[in-house]
Amino acid sequence: MADTAVVTDPFTDLVVKLNAFNKAVTTRTTIAQTPKELVWALNKAKLYRYVPVVPKEKRHPVPLLMVFALMNRPYILDLRPGHSFVEFMVNSGYDLYLLDWGAPGPEDKNLKFDDYTLEYMPRAIRKLKAVSGVEEFSLLGWCIGAILTTIYAALRPDDGLRNLILLTAPLDFSNKEAITFARWTDERFFDVDKVLGTFGNMPGEMIDYGAKALKPVENYVVNYLKLWDNIDNPQVIEAWQAMNTWVTDNIPLAGGVFRQLIVDLYRNDRLMQGQMMIRGERVDLSRLRANLLTVIAEGDHITPPCQSKAILSKVSSKDKELFSVPGGHIGIMAGSGANKRTWPKIDNWLGPRSK
Amino acid sequence: MADEQAANGKPPDPMEAFREMRDTYLDAWAKAMVETVNTDAYAKSSGTVLDTYLSASSPFREAVEKAMLRVLEQLSMPSRADFISLADRVNNIEMRLDDMDAKLDRIVNVLIKPVTAAGKRSPKPAVSGIQNKRKAKGAQ
Repeated sequence: MADTAVVTDPFTDLVVKLNAFNKAVTTRTTIAQTPKELVWALNKAKLYRYVPVVPKEKRHPVPLLMVFALMNRPYILDLRPGHSFVEFMVNSGYDLYLLDWGAPGPEDKNLKFDDYTLEYMPRAIRKLKAVSGVEEFSLLGWCIGAILTTIYAALRPDDGLRNLILLTAPLDFSNKEAITFARWTDERFFDVDKVLGTFGNMPGEMIDYGAKALKPVENYVVNYLKLWDNIDNPQVIEAWQAMNTWVTDNIPLAGGVFRQLIVDLYRNDRLMQGQMMIRGERVDLSRLRANLLTVIAEGDHITPPCQSKAILSKVSSKDKELFSVPGGHIGIMAGSGANKRTWPKIDNWLGPRSK
Repeated sequence: MADEQAANGKPPDPMEAFREMRDTYLDAWAKAMVETVNTDAYAKSSGTVLDTYLSASSPFREAVEKAMLRVLEQLSMPSRADFISLADRVNNIEMRLDDMDAKLDRIVNVLIKPVTAAGKRSPKPAVSGIQNKRKAKGAQ
C-alpha cells in the first residue's frame, strides 16, 4: 500500500486503489478466533464455553452466559484478536459461555419468544450449571438477546440468576415518535401476516435493509467513502473488513418471534405494560430481582436510549445501574473505543458481583 | 517539491479541500435522510412498495411451488414440506434426549453426593487423596 504514494501516473494510482477497494469489499476475514468448545446443542442452538486462560483459583466463580440477538451472528462479540469482548472477558478471568441461536430454517417458522425463553434458555442454563459446577450465573443480553434475558429473568427469578447485563435493550415501546421501526411497522403501513405468509421466517436481507435504511447515507455511502479515503491504511482496512464480514452475514428471524416483536412489542408495548404472555404466564417485570446493569448507546438509532431506561423503575432489583456510553448500537461493543469504555465498565461492575 | 515530499512523507493533497466540502455535504444529506425516513409518508410508501411486491410475486411463486411439487412427486423425491416435517420430528427427538440427559444428571448427582459426603465423614488418607485428585480433575 505504501507504494501507492510514489506512483505518479494518476490512472495507475486509481487502478491500484480500485483493486485494493474491490479486494477489501469482497474479502471475508477470519473472525471468532477465541478458542471455545461446544457443550450443548439443540436444534440450531449451540452453547459454547470459551476455553479459560486464567487458572481456576483466580477465576470469577460465577459464570457468565452471553445471549445475542436472534437475527445476527453472535461473533460480533469476538470479532478479531485484540478487538474482542470475548477475549477481554476470558483474559479478565470469567468463565464465559455463549448461546448461539444459529439460523432458523423453514421448520422453525413457528418459534416464538415462548420457545426461546422457556424451552431453549432453561435447557442451556441447566447444561451451563452442570459444566461449571455452580448454581448461580450471570446473563448478558444484547439487543433482542436483552429482550430474551429480561423475559427469562422475570419468569424464572429463582433459577440462580445473580447478575443481568442488558446492552441496548429494546424493552420500552411507548415513545413511538422516537422509534423509527415502530413507525415503519405500524399496522397502517405494514402487513406482518402477509410478509410471514410469503416468507415463513423474516428474511435476513429484509432485516438488514431495515437496519441500514434507518441511516441510509451513512450505511450506503459514507461507509464506503471512509474505506476509500483510508485505502492505504491496513489497520483501517482490517477493521472495516471484519465489521463488513459480520454486517453482511445476515440470518432470518423466526416468523413467530417476528410477529410477537411487531404485534406485542412495537405496536402494543406489552412487556412494559405488564401484559405480555409467555406460555400462559404473564411477564411481570417486578419479579426480576437480579443485580441489573443496563447499558445505553447515546447515538443508537436502532434502539433509541428511551427504550432501555424504563426497565430500571419496573424491576425489584436492589442493585441496579444505568450506564450511558457515547456511540451507536454496535459501536459501543465493537467500535474502537469499546475496550476503553464499555468493556472495562462491564468488568468493573460484574467482577465484584461474581464472587 | 521533492524536498517538501521528503519532509512530510506524503505529497500535498489537492483533494483535501474537496473532501472537506464533500463531508460537509454528506453530513447535511445524512441528517435530512434520517429525518425523511422517520416520517409517516416514508413508512407508507415503503409499506406500499413491499405490499405490491408481495402481491405481484404471489401468483408466480404459487405456480412455481405447485409445479415443483408435481415434479418431485413424479420423481419420488421428498418435498420441502416433507423435509420440514422430518426436521420437526428430529427436533422432538433432540428435546427428548435433552430431557433424558437432564434426568441422568440428576440421578448421577443423587448417587454421587452421598458417596462424597460419606467420604468426607470418614477420610482414609490414601483414598481421600485419590478422590481429591479425581474431584479436582472433574471440576476442571
